[in-house]
Amino acid sequence: MFLGVDPLQFCLFNFNFHCMKMKNFTHYRLLLLLLSCLLAAPAWAQSQAVSGRVLGSDSGALPGVTVLEQGTTNGATTGADGTFRLSVGPRASLVFSSVGYATQTVAVGSQATVNVTLQASATELSEAVVVGYGTQNKADLTGSVTQLSSKDVGNQPVQSFEQSIQGKAAGVFIESGSGKLGQGIRVRVRGVSSISGDTQPLYVVDGIPVLADNLSSTSGATNPLADINPNDIESINVLKDASATAIYGSRATNGVVIVTTKRGRVGATKFTVAYQTGLSSPTHTRDFLNAAQYTELLTEARNNNGSSAASTATRLRIIAGDQDPTSYDTDWQHQAFQRAPFSQYDLSASGGSEKTKFFISGQYSDQNGILVSNRYQRMNARFNLDHQATDKLTFGVNVGATRSVNNRLPNDNAFSTPMQIVALSPLTPVSDPRTGQPVGAIDPATGTYSTNFPFYYNPLLSIAGGAYTTTVYRLLGNVYAQYKFTPDLYFRSEVGIDFTNYNEDQYQGRITSRNSGPTNGFSYNAAQVNAKLVVNNYLNYHKTFAEQHLVDVTVGTAYEQGQVTGNNVTGTQFASDAYRTIANASSITAGSSFNNGGNTLVSYFGRLSYAYAGKYLVGGSARLDGSSRFGANNRYGLFSAGSLGWLISEEDFLKGNTTLSLLKVRASIGKTGNQGFGNFPSRNLFTGTSGYVGVPGQSPLQLGNPDLTWESTTQYDAGLEYGFFDNRISGEFDIYLKNTNGLALNQPVPLTTGFGSIFRNVGSLENKGIEFTLTTRNFVGDFAWTTSFNAAINRNKITNLNGPSILGSNLSRAQEGQPLGVFVGPEYAGVDAANGDALYYSNATMADGSLDRSTTNDINGATYVVVGNPNPTWTGGITNTFSYKGIDLTATLVGVFGNQIYDGGAQYYSVAFNNGYDNQTTDQLNRWRNPGDITDVPKAYLFGGNGTGASSRFVRQGDYGRLRTVLLGYNLPSSVAKRGYLQSARVFVQALNLLTFTKYKGWDPEVSTDYLTGTGSTSQNNINQGTDFYTAPQARTFTVGVNLGF
Amino acid sequence: MKKLVFGLLAACLATGSVTSCNNKLNVVPVDSIDAGNALSTSDDVQAALVGTYTSLQSIDAYGGYIQFISDLLADDGDITFVGTFSNPYQFQRKTIRRDNGNAQSTWGRGYATINRANNVLANLDKVTAAASKTRTEGEARFLRALTYFDLVRLYARAWNDGTPSANPGVPVVTTPTSTVTDANLLARNTVAEVYTQVIADLTAAESQLPASNGIFANKYAAAAILSRVYLQQGRFTEAAAAANRATAGPYMLNPDYDTEFYQGADLLANTAEDIFTIQNSAQSGINQLNVFYGEQQRGDISINDQLLNQFEAGDDRAGLFTVTTNQTYSNKYDAQYGSVKLIRLAEMYLTRAEGNFRAGTAVGATPLSDINRVRARVGLPALATVTLPIILKERKLELAFEGFRLGDLKRNQESTTDPTTGAPVAWNSPRLVLPIPLAEINVNPNLVQNPGY
Repeated sequence: MFLGVDPLQFCLFNFNFHCMKMKNFTHYRLLLLLLSCLLAAPAWAQSQAVSGRVLGSDSGALPGVTVLEQGTTNGATTGADGTFRLSVGPRASLVFSSVGYATQTVAVGSQATVNVTLQASATELSEAVVVGYGTQNKADLTGSVTQLSSKDVGNQPVQSFEQSIQGKAAGVFIESGSGKLGQGIRVRVRGVSSISGDTQPLYVVDGIPVLADNLSSTSGATNPLADINPNDIESINVLKDASATAIYGSRATNGVVIVTTKRGRVGATKFTVAYQTGLSSPTHTRDFLNAAQYTELLTEARNNNGSSAASTATRLRIIAGDQDPTSYDTDWQHQAFQRAPFSQYDLSASGGSEKTKFFISGQYSDQNGILVSNRYQRMNARFNLDHQATDKLTFGVNVGATRSVNNRLPNDNAFSTPMQIVALSPLTPVSDPRTGQPVGAIDPATGTYSTNFPFYYNPLLSIAGGAYTTTVYRLLGNVYAQYKFTPDLYFRSEVGIDFTNYNEDQYQGRITSRNSGPTNGFSYNAAQVNAKLVVNNYLNYHKTFAEQHLVDVTVGTAYEQGQVTGNNVTGTQFASDAYRTIANASSITAGSSFNNGGNTLVSYFGRLSYAYAGKYLVGGSARLDGSSRFGANNRYGLFSAGSLGWLISEEDFLKGNTTLSLLKVRASIGKTGNQGFGNFPSRNLFTGTSGYVGVPGQSPLQLGNPDLTWESTTQYDAGLEYGFFDNRISGEFDIYLKNTNGLALNQPVPLTTGFGSIFRNVGSLENKGIEFTLTTRNFVGDFAWTTSFNAAINRNKITNLNGPSILGSNLSRAQEGQPLGVFVGPEYAGVDAANGDALYYSNATMADGSLDRSTTNDINGATYVVVGNPNPTWTGGITNTFSYKGIDLTATLVGVFGNQIYDGGAQYYSVAFNNGYDNQTTDQLNRWRNPGDITDVPKAYLFGGNGTGASSRFVRQGDYGRLRTVLLGYNLPSSVAKRGYLQSARVFVQALNLLTFTKYKGWDPEVSTDYLTGTGSTSQNNINQGTDFYTAPQARTFTVGVNLGF
Repeated sequence: MKKLVFGLLAACLATGSVTSCNNKLNVVPVDSIDAGNALSTSDDVQAALVGTYTSLQSIDAYGGYIQFISDLLADDGDITFVGTFSNPYQFQRKTIRRDNGNAQSTWGRGYATINRANNVLANLDKVTAAASKTRTEGEARFLRALTYFDLVRLYARAWNDGTPSANPGVPVVTTPTSTVTDANLLARNTVAEVYTQVIADLTAAESQLPASNGIFANKYAAAAILSRVYLQQGRFTEAAAAANRATAGPYMLNPDYDTEFYQGADLLANTAEDIFTIQNSAQSGINQLNVFYGEQQRGDISINDQLLNQFEAGDDRAGLFTVTTNQTYSNKYDAQYGSVKLIRLAEMYLTRAEGNFRAGTAVGATPLSDINRVRARVGLPALATVTLPIILKERKLELAFEGFRLGDLKRNQESTTDPTTGAPVAWNSPRLVLPIPLAEINVNPNLVQNPGY
């Protein structure tokens, strides 16, 4: 639902609202008092049964909490309703721990029931934070790290985990380009730091940097991270500043996302079963002309170009399939969408003994897309095992296996993509009355496949007579061994493999011949293998000297190698449409192999952190990376960072102060790199792919640059962590500056050289910004209410290109002094009231330095100026969680503000027929008609080209606020659950993208067309942001589900 | 267990040893080779020459757009573009925007071809056999000249428009690119300088090329393009002479006009009439003209009665159209993988006829006999006399959709029509000259943009 509410106002309103409520919270500190009373209870002399329920301070029942009898290995895990049951010895204390919550120890005393509320620990200092090659205590951390836990991901009707953390991490901008399933997703940590290199963060799963290469054969990128089952994720840590990321050296500039999967815990084997089902629909549709409006506007456009009334009548009849033009009123857009059910089944078992712990899970997920025929099915299995062989030696294995089948769609720029159906006229019937077939299937005159009716190719023919399936098998796993030499020193070795087998099958039958060629069927098959080996070895030393000096040192080496290989075949001429595979093609029309040559990375790294008296913190880290991607002279790069922290609240003058319960300042500086380039950008290459009808030939492929070296970024960060009133109010504030110099820039060169570009280390850009998070626990106790707010401002600016602007598609470009991807072009000045011509501002610089604001109807006479920016000025999210007894409600609202969208399809569908017969949006009815008319829609003129040129006319405001998720759950009381032999039972309903608040009149403001952002040119992909081109809107999904534990 | 750990530790240290790591970092490409190793032998140079022909197959070269742009720009209502791409509309409306994508890709493709030819020419010393060396040079010069000639005709004012020695043409590059410096920021050479380069290359090529060279360019092809160049310059005597030299090859008109273009099979070998074609197969090259014109393909072009009415009754060429309720198609490019006819013998007869007629000569044959030869093949009766309009009309109908219209319109100083306003557009209007691509102007400040952009 798109409401006309100003998104900014809406958000401010919401913010004020929760500020007001914050006054109430202090009353609820009684709970802590209550817990401390428990400590004084008398002791029991023998083994006793204890049960109870664990609540989260920011949510209701807390499942998966480890409950351990202190000093023993006797323990249990809470069920989905937060309950546990355990037998403990005399004078026992129970230790409750869970990721994302403060660990709490409670003496059992004589109680048979122990109910506990764990404090959500956005700022909990004793919590372990997963950092590169190890963990650190939150208190000792001097870097900027955002932590998310399993409750932020999982159980959502999305394909990959990044989609579910949208709006939850400050400074992490996440955008799904479209509503197609399993497609590439943009994740930007603190802006974009490269023009020609990779801009996605490094993903590390269980210590292994994983494959994130797009292997799609079309420019519609696929998302390799969708192979990871979000429900297997225990925690996600986003490393943002240099002190946190520098240990990943040459891949750290874009941030690092560390994913840790769930592990078994000591206790009885616990089974969970979950089922969820739902339905998706588009968030929004556009308004296109209906039949009467189409006839009216087209008739006018034809009159204006001098067509006779008779020829217009003939044309309308042709459009209507040789029927009376008033016969039909087809809503073609509606035909592009389908009823889209979703279902997901999860099963897991976990548990273990003191020595051996395991986690096993399986998932089957079947999601139908909102666009016809789009479907994504995935099966996952995971097996995580930890075994303690001796007091000193531990080893284990983490393996995830995935099979996904994606029934895909062509990219947005294909005639056969369903969204381009909107070009068809409402006068044209869906089914041709002359043949009874889908319109365009058969030419009634010849009985053969139609070539010219309807006016544009009917994409439904490709749905009916074709298929495009991507099947992926992925195995991601590692084995590790850890040896504890002394209590302070351990050595860990990890060997990981990430293996993807990627298979694409396309088939287009005879019915699609107008689009695929008159070849009696067309088939394409591609098979690729992307495989990677990772070896990590490191030593960690962690010791406190003289009670005041904590030293933590990690040193290690890593080796990685990876390679993508593949081949593809295209065949035509099939005996019938029943034959679809290459094996049955009578003519093999193309075939090739692909081998990216591979790349290797050899690394040495180290980290030192020192804390004095638990309040003065110093950190340093460094990594020496050698990469095969750079020339022999510049193979190695050293990346390092240093940081300082001061935990002021541990000083005597603040210690124990409950009003200001936490105050920490930290600062860091460091250098990181980016090696996200092709494997051989420095080489001058020839290719042998230039054969000529079977005669061998070769040609130059690229210009090399033997001096090419690393792109490096220096980042400065200062942060403040605060907590008030026993951390009832807490949060962080960060300010940063990222300077990237010596960009490895794919710089355009004159085409007269025979080449388009060359890699050079020139130019620089900067990102600077502010991140702010605030978590308030407005109510705690039986009724709990927590609000988490985050906001980030990032300003991106290309400070130097040392050469020409790099042009993207439409108006997008990289231009000095401007943010990356800025829209530069003619500025639209509306319509000449005298004759209906589109006008543009001259904007020539005049002698006095001012701009000439006179107008011209010649678009070539308009000087290019900056007319928009696809980068948001700020992004944010707000999550409210309420719980009462067994009921919990969570709602996340996300916002993206200050950006513009280039509506790339508007040159066809919002130009009053000036670009052809495409059906038009209803706003074109405001066209200029008579001298004196004041409007911004030029005169309708069939094929007139009036106002169709790329200009600010098609630049739109892209701000939006969105109710991203709403989740309402109910946990059955244990007593009820147990009657059904269950430990726990939970039912829930949720809605994804329930409401969207925007002024954007297109399909959906969260948009970046795939065909411009998944190309072979990384520069183009980075520059061409924020363009809408027949791009599928996001899905609004409702689901209901049940989780059972036994 | 401890052994295991120390084993791992040792492995770690081994991985850590710098020498072994440096070896691991020496990764070389496998799908391509270093340029330094690419042009070492005679065969290497031959392969680079073949790669230059491959460049011509591109849709942005003779795979289709060079011909298509020329015919759309010149069109005065014979055809209508009814496709969905916006760039060709701009050509037909003759209101080209400076960001026109085809203007950029045709320019870029042209210079890629030129760079490939220059790579061959700069490495001729690697070719050992003398005959082979001469032929190789001739072919490379032919390909370079062909490309420059079409670039200068599309991106600069016509030869007969003002002063060619002052009008900016296109930059002339005659050495291969191995690195890019400010020296590569070239200014435009004059139109005259480009023509001089073209004529020098073609003249050399004609003398260097053998009479027979398989599917590759031979001496008759060089003479044929030379005749086009002279005709464009209005040097009718030389045009007739060059065309006459081209007709001296082992060529004859295909008895049927339609089988010259379509023989019921996709693959089309060179016919007896073909002097030079761009080869295509299912695996190599694209005949984009098939996509533009073919009824079984996109069929972007609808043929109007204005053109059909120009054919005399009985003209076989009028049979090469399919009329349906919605649209009339040309069948000239119905062969999906058909070779693209770049030089046909019929053109040489027409050029010789026109050259002779306008020069008042009869080199090789009289204009009348040449025109009647072309007419006879399409089933038209012989004429008793010819006039220039008859010759030009014959040329237009014979060579329709083959990329001749813009050059002919300009040299004959005809005008065309703005389809939006119906107003005439003069032969020397800046609207009939492509813009220097926006991206190229952006990169190279030494380039002067054409008027109107």
